[in-house]
This record gives sequence, C-alpha cells and structure tokens, in this order.
Amino acid sequence: MTRSRLRWLLVPLLILPLSWLLFTGLGRDPADIPSPLVGRQMPAFTATTVDGTDLDSATLAGQPIVVNFWASWCRPCIAEHAVLSAAADDGVRLVGIVYQDSVEGARAFRQRYGGDWPDALDPTGAIAVDFGVTGPPETFFVDGQGIVRARHIGPLTPEAMAGLLAEIGVDR
Amino acid sequence: MRGLALPVAAGALVALLAVAAVQLLGPIAPLSHAEQAAAIAAELRCPDCQGLSVAESRTAAADAIRSEIDAQLAAGRSADEVRQHFVDRYGEWILLTPDEPLPWVLPGAALVGGLAGLAAWLLRGRTRPAPAPAPVPAGEAERRRIRDEVESLDA
Repeated sequence: MTRSRLRWLLVPLLILPLSWLLFTGLGRDPADIPSPLVGRQMPAFTATTVDGTDLDSATLAGQPIVVNFWASWCRPCIAEHAVLSAAADDGVRLVGIVYQDSVEGARAFRQRYGGDWPDALDPTGAIAVDFGVTGPPETFFVDGQGIVRARHIGPLTPEAMAGLLAEIGVDR
Repeated sequence: MRGLALPVAAGALVALLAVAAVQLLGPIAPLSHAEQAAAIAAELRCPDCQGLSVAESRTAAADAIRSEIDAQLAAGRSADEVRQHFVDRYGEWILLTPDEPLPWVLPGAALVGGLAGLAAWLLRGRTRPAPAPAPVPAGEAERRRIRDEVESLDA
C-alpha cells in the first residue's frame, strides 16, 4: 500500500471512533448515575414520622417496598405524588423520606395532596446520605428480601413506576 | 580570602542539603482531626450542587456529609475508609478526583503521541532526497546517433 493511501486510511481510523464517542455521549443522560446500592441490602434507619410516630426500617422487611425521597419545596414531587398515590391505592407499600424540609412544610404538603403512607423525617440528612441521594425526587425499589433492585432519579411516571415495580415482583 | 571561597561554598551547600533533607524526610506532623476532615470534604462532590466540593458548599446535603465525616473520623476510621464509606453509597461519582487510572494516563498519552507525530512530521522534511544517479558517459554508438540527429535537423 502506498504512503498516500495509508494516510487516507488514518481519516476513518481517527474520525469514526471519535464520532462514535461523541454521538453515544450525546445520547447519555448525565443524571443517570448508577447507584452502588442496587443489588445490596437497603440501608437501615430509624426515624420519627411526620405524624410523630417512630419508624424502624426493620419493620418494613419481608415485603417489597418503595422508598421515596421528597420535599414540599420540590415541584416535580407534586406531579409524582399522584403516581405514588395511585400505586398506594393499588396496595403498593410505600415509605416517604422527607428530604431537607421542615416538619410543617411536609405536613402541609401531605394535607394538601393526600396519601396515608408513612413519611419519615430526616432532619440531619443522615438517611439521605446513607442512600446516596443526590436530590428529590429520588426513589428506591426494594424487594421482599430487603435488597435494593432499582433507583430512579427524578419524578416517576406511571410507566416508569409499573416497570420498576415489576423488578421487585409487584404486579398491579 | 580566595582560598576560603571553596570550603565556604561547600559548607553552605551541605547545610542547604541538610535543611532540605530534614524538611523532606523528617517526621511530618500528623494532621489534626479537623484538617483531615477538611481534606476529605474537599475530595468529595457536593451531591446537590453543580461542580462544588462538600468543603465549599453550605447545602444541607454537604452539611450532612461533613458531620458524617466527623463522626467516622471520631470513631477511629482512616481517611481511606471514610472515602470508601461514601463511594459505597454514592458510587465513584462522589469522588472529585477519579480513582481509575485511565483519566490520568490519557492526556499524557495523547501529549506524547502528538509530540511523536509532530517530531516525525518535522524530521521527515530533513531527510535529503536520494542523490540523482551519476550521468553515464555516452558511448560511441550514442554519440553517432546524436550527431546524425543533429545533422538531420540542420539539413
């Protein structure tokens, strides 16, 4: 092969992998950060709920559960609340964890938008750190053995909810 | 006086080397608890900020991570164990300086590759073209042919 033909071969050799890298990079969601918690035991926690009762995560074991981090100041959480309520109405077990919010704010939100699943307060943010939460809304799907099967960042849509519930063996 | 210059210079050099050796090899004062906590916080990404470390941020999440660092150090964990505690929860994403070698090696490799390419390109112009073959003296038959051609032109 002559020298000039070799040079032309360099063009696809350099440009094709570079274009592939850029195009796949464009398609990637920067918010989609893999959680190291997936496949591991859910972090244990004890907390006081918005209603003033005690909540120990050990009492949640045995059945699949959805752990939802939310805040009353979080606008996407309002839209998501309808999806959570629909799931709760279908018998899905939920527990909310109030993220960087006041008790009053959380209570007002619950009074306005409804829902009767327990909401744990996390005044120091220690529970959120244990779950590696980056910001609300963020939801963890835990199976009956207490293993985290999925983490969803951002508001849940009904479709996402159905798909993720299926991963923890909940069929609605 | 001149005779003293060399010993004085040698003495000064030895003194300088000794100071440098003490500085480099001498016992380093162990970092205080607060210094260690600040160093770890500076290496962790604030989860709900854009491009800030936990040390630089005043969000509640950064506060929570800082108090967790303090609690872990107070419990006697090493700095590496504390870092790993957060990697186990947030993933490698939480580290502002990557642990994987590739991001560190790649820029250096690209630089060396680029310099090698540039050097090759610059040196290629230096190599001289092969000298033209020496003219072969024309033989008798050749001379005759040329003479005949020239004469035919003149005719």
